[in-house]
Amino acid sequence: MSPEPARPAGPSPIPSAAGGARAGARGLSRPAARLELRELTKQYPGEDGPAVDRLSLEVPAGEICVFVGPSGCGKTTAMRMINRMIDRDSGEILLDGRDVNDRDPSELRREIGYVIQQIGLFPHRTIEENIGTVPSLLGWKKADIAARTQELLDLVGLDPAFAKRYPAQLSGGQRQRVGVARALAADPPLLLMDEPFGAIDPITRDRLQNEFLRLQKTLGRTIVFVTHDIDEAIKMGDRIAVLRTGGRLAQYATPAELLLAPADDFVERFVGADRALKRLALGRVSDLDLLPVVKVHDGDPSDWVRSQLAGAPVPYPLVVDDDERPVSWLDADDLRADRVVGAEGSDVAIVDGDAVLRDAFSSVLQSRVRFAVVVDERGKSIGVLSADRIADELLPRDGEQQPDLAPVADGLPTPTLDYPDAAPPFDRGTK
Amino acid sequence: MSLAGLSTGASVIAQDGSGFFRDRASDAGSCVSKNGFCPDWIADNFGQYTGPLQEHAVLTVTAVVIGFVIAFALALIAEKRRWLVGPFTQLSGILYTIPTLAAFFLLLPITGRGFLTAEVALVAYTLLILFRGVRTGLDSVPPETVDAAKGVGLTDRQLMWQVKLPLALPQIIAALRVASSTTVGLATLAFFAGAGGLGGKIYADLTFKSNVVLASLLCVALAVAIEIVLVLVQRGLTPWTRAVNA
Repeated sequence: MSPEPARPAGPSPIPSAAGGARAGARGLSRPAARLELRELTKQYPGEDGPAVDRLSLEVPAGEICVFVGPSGCGKTTAMRMINRMIDRDSGEILLDGRDVNDRDPSELRREIGYVIQQIGLFPHRTIEENIGTVPSLLGWKKADIAARTQELLDLVGLDPAFAKRYPAQLSGGQRQRVGVARALAADPPLLLMDEPFGAIDPITRDRLQNEFLRLQKTLGRTIVFVTHDIDEAIKMGDRIAVLRTGGRLAQYATPAELLLAPADDFVERFVGADRALKRLALGRVSDLDLLPVVKVHDGDPSDWVRSQLAGAPVPYPLVVDDDERPVSWLDADDLRADRVVGAEGSDVAIVDGDAVLRDAFSSVLQSRVRFAVVVDERGKSIGVLSADRIADELLPRDGEQQPDLAPVADGLPTPTLDYPDAAPPFDRGTK
Repeated sequence: MSLAGLSTGASVIAQDGSGFFRDRASDAGSCVSKNGFCPDWIADNFGQYTGPLQEHAVLTVTAVVIGFVIAFALALIAEKRRWLVGPFTQLSGILYTIPTLAAFFLLLPITGRGFLTAEVALVAYTLLILFRGVRTGLDSVPPETVDAAKGVGLTDRQLMWQVKLPLALPQIIAALRVASSTTVGLATLAFFAGAGGLGGKIYADLTFKSNVVLASLLCVALAVAIEIVLVLVQRGLTPWTRAVNA
């Protein structure tokens, strides 16, 4: 847990002339809030055990905290107590140090964005009116609301022409964007999101998740995000609170910590047997040290190329064009001619430096040579990625678990790269 | 006025002192004397029907408006205290089952003959339809809409007036339409309570086609007119119900 929340710097996180003016007049673009739950407890009448049991955690300002757990773990109850949609039995909920029970519920909720799975748009109001709900409750001027609506439609990637339509005229994904826009309308310091992308098809969900993360980079809101989907939790969360049935906090950690060191059996099972693989979704190619590769051009003498390969970590030469963009891999057969002909080689798997490791790993596995070429934004080759490199990244880091074992004997077979369908490496050197 | 006055149709009709009924003997062999459907007679005597039509309209509209105010208030009261929905429904259901004529009888000692008696009975009759209509409308509001409305900070009052009632409008207006057409029909009995209306005309001479057809058509026209007004009101107030996948 970081000691002091980093407040988003600078003025309005949503730059706009109107926004700036309003911000001054209405004290908007408030900094994100710090949320603290202390011993939060709730038991529904007639139930055997509590729904939420002495839940304590702190969400630093500007971070996404995901409540995740199986059904009946109290994650939604915990979230709904924050904006007082459900009354707690005991404990404290502090928003920037102030208990939410000291506030009028309606007033409090106008400062807390609220997004639910069923979206809950007002069917009788236009998109514009839906988005402007909270600003109009807060008494903004009409012109300000209209300007803000346009700004938000733009922000969530909807055509401004949608403003005058009704929710029934939008697709599910579009409605959810409106739901997010409505929640963001008055620039709330805290956002509550209950399975916001749960009812949307997987492709649209993935896109909305990515867009939302991009949005959050600029907005820097504090967000409590509820989901039952551990993959979504890992993707969206800066921190993840894993709750177990009965509303007990099982672990509160960053996604990497959670995957690397589950606190107990429950968390380990919940996170899944493939937790090491899930870490692939966390890292990016740019985090890794890349392997150097022998780059050759059309027309280079084959003998020279062979000599360059001696001892190289990547046993194939990469043909590149004049701008250093990858063209093809060559194998021994391709080098029978005197000179290099790039068009003879096999296809190159190319990954961006921004790509997540999961996608990069997939590219590596699909490549005939089991290497993927990493390129910069201009498409220039900057290095090569192997399955080994990615596997190394997934191992526990310094001292967290087992140290590297010393090999018992030299000459054990190298575990990778001997694929029957791949061309044989020309020269493995002394490896 | 005595109870006896109500006891037979004949004595009631006798009290219809307008005396507009034709002197058939003077015109033997004519359409009118044959009790036929006579456009000429209708054209000449139409003026005699405008007064009863007006009374009929006032009876109907007053009953529906008062009935709606009461039913709406009951529905709102039952919103916070859900356990009242059952008793309110049963109560209005009992009122609904009392035959209108019997209601006039029962009311005579209390309210006497006239407009008030007719209205009390007609209003009582609308309550079940209107109460159920408002409740159905309010109950049809999607729970997620209510949850979201509270969640973004609407107060209970704002939730009711800005979200629930607008969304309940289609059902509320549907109930108003049913209540109105029912009341137009029942109001033809109002003259038994001495409240006039087109019923007075119909029962004054049931054998004369021109009379019966004209009075009945005016009833139908009144019902249709009210229906049209309500449909237009609904179209004006609920544009969202027509906005689908433009």
